[in-house]
Formats: sequence, C-alpha cells, structure tokens
Amino acid sequence: MEEKKIKVLIIIPAYNESESIEGVVRHLTSRTSKYDYLIVNDGSTDHTLRICKEAGFSYLDLPINLGIGGAVQAGYVYAHKNAYDIAVQMDGDGQHDIAYLEDMLRPILSDEADIVIGSRFLKKEGFQSSHTRRIGIGILSFLIRLTTGKRIMDVTSGFRAVNRRFIEIYAKDYPTDYPEPEAIVTAIMHRGRVMEVPVRMRARESGTSSITMRKSVYYMIKVTLAILICRLSYGFRRAGR
Amino acid sequence: MIPSTLRITLILAVLCYFIIILYFLKNKALNLKYTFLWLLAGIVMGLLVIFPKLLVRIIRILGITSNMNGLFIICIAFVLMILMSLTSIVSRQNGKIRSLIQEIGILEKRIRELEEKKD
Repeated sequence: MEEKKIKVLIIIPAYNESESIEGVVRHLTSRTSKYDYLIVNDGSTDHTLRICKEAGFSYLDLPINLGIGGAVQAGYVYAHKNAYDIAVQMDGDGQHDIAYLEDMLRPILSDEADIVIGSRFLKKEGFQSSHTRRIGIGILSFLIRLTTGKRIMDVTSGFRAVNRRFIEIYAKDYPTDYPEPEAIVTAIMHRGRVMEVPVRMRARESGTSSITMRKSVYYMIKVTLAILICRLSYGFRRAGR
Repeated sequence: MIPSTLRITLILAVLCYFIIILYFLKNKALNLKYTFLWLLAGIVMGLLVIFPKLLVRIIRILGITSNMNGLFIICIAFVLMILMSLTSIVSRQNGKIRSLIQEIGILEKRIRELEEKKD
C-alpha cells in the first residue's frame, strides 16, 4: 500500500542568529530532504536576513520584531495556509538536534499524541541547563500539573511537533512573550494529547538565551501569572488525558 | 454643601471638558466608539454639579463623609475606568498588529517566490 505523503514543516524562529542559522539549516537539509523548513526572521537587526537571502534558504521576513511567540505563530499561520499536516518548531541557535525529528513525528503519525515535546529531562542526557534554571522549570512544571493535571517535565523546551488540528489552533491562539509553558496549557485546554519524547540538547552554539539572570525573576512571575490566567480563561472546561 | 463659587468653577470646567471632546470629535481625532465613556463621565459630572443635592445623597449612600472627597473619588473612579478601557483597546490592537505583521511576512514570501518564477 502506498503511503499517503504527509507534509511536514519545520519552523525555525530566528532573532539575531546570524552566527548559527546557516549551520543549523545546512545540518537540517543534509539530514532530511523530504521535509520543508521555514526560517522566521523576527525583524533581526544583524545579518540574519542577508544570510538567508544569499544562501537561498526558505524564510519569512517579519518587518517588525514580534518576539518569539509572534514569530513561531507566523510559522503556524504559514503552515495552516499551506495545508501542512505536521509542524515542528525548533530553535535557530543549534540547541536542538534534528536527529530526533523522526522520534518526535512517530507519536503524531500513529495518532497517539497531538503535541510532542522534545524533553531533555526524560533520560537526563545531553545538556541539562543550569541548576537554578532547572529549579525554575521544576516549579513551572509543578504549576502546570496543578492547574491541568498533566505532568510535563521540560515545559520550556522549544522543540515541538504538533499535528494539523493544533496547527490551526496555534495559528489562531498562541501566547506572546515567553510562550512555551503557556502553549502547553493552551493545548491541554483544547483537550490536546501532549506527549514528551526524550531528546538530547546541546548547549547553544551562539547567542544568549532569551532569559537572562536579571530577567529570570520577572520571567517566573510573568509565566506563573500567564499559566493561571490561561487556565482561568478556558473556564472550567476539563482537561483531557 | 459645595460653596457656590466652586460650583461655578466646576460648571465652567465641565463645559470646557465637553467643548474639548466635541472639538476632537469634529476633527475626527477621536473615534465616537471610544468617546462614549468620556461623554458619560462628562454627563455624570455635569449632573452632579448642577444638582449638588444628588451628589450629597450619593456620597452619603457610599458612606463618604466629606463632600469634596466624594467628588474626587467619583472622578478618580471614572479616570480608572477610562484607563482600563484604554489598556484593553491597546491590547486588542496589539493582537491585530501582530496578525498584520505575520500576514505581511507571508505575503512577502509569496511575492518573492512569484517573482523568482517569472524570471
């Protein structure tokens, strides 16, 4: 039986990633040629756009910086308009390894999950992030478990795959500033089946995390509030399994 | 009671307030949609200044003992309401601008691809 060809789009949000973006995309295209990718240049102020142009990469160029949430959502809107079956988001800084792509697609293809999160904490391999950051992630993970009943370990992982239904949902409704944990709550509130798959992450090749130490207190407060408000805004709708 | 000189001042102030709003509306510098709250606030202020007995009664019901304090509290409440509605307008516009920027990015890619095909 001939398998129906599924369309997969890999979304790579990039804000001032001129040092790493070329390596990330070259690595990606050398590993998989059957899937499309899309760089979303989020109004970068460095040479990210020029690099994409000169290398002939597939990219979206947002005229104004929207922040990571808006950039990722632009990818989902594009995926929705072009009728993709699965969208995968991964960072443009080389943290995420495309080698795990098939592992992440499998649960979606077999219809076991709607959203698959690449988690660095399931097998505790590879780059594990700093101690303080792990505590922060643990608190957010606990909070999501408290509000939705679902246990997710790596709530800040930006390495995700979602199916067609959630491409549409995220195209319409995706959180802005620090979107990863909130997007999980959004997904669960839409009765999405969220699954974690173990991946190894590398320390970033270049650039700094969008979350610096100085901002981390603000980050925790903001995300905590965002999760609570997100949970409330969906009322008493029960979370799915 | 409110002293009569103060009442005259307040009436003039309310008049100025309405003239400014109407001036903005006439020059289309304000959307009527966003002006309703301002007009409502003006009408309430006007009524309270013209009929100070009403003001005193409302203030007593609210449990405020000083008339002037009551006037201030009512004004502040209106200002807060208007600020809140402004924040909500800004938030909504923020969402609309975000969609527009994403749409522009997608259209730009499409135009680029069409032009490449043409060459």
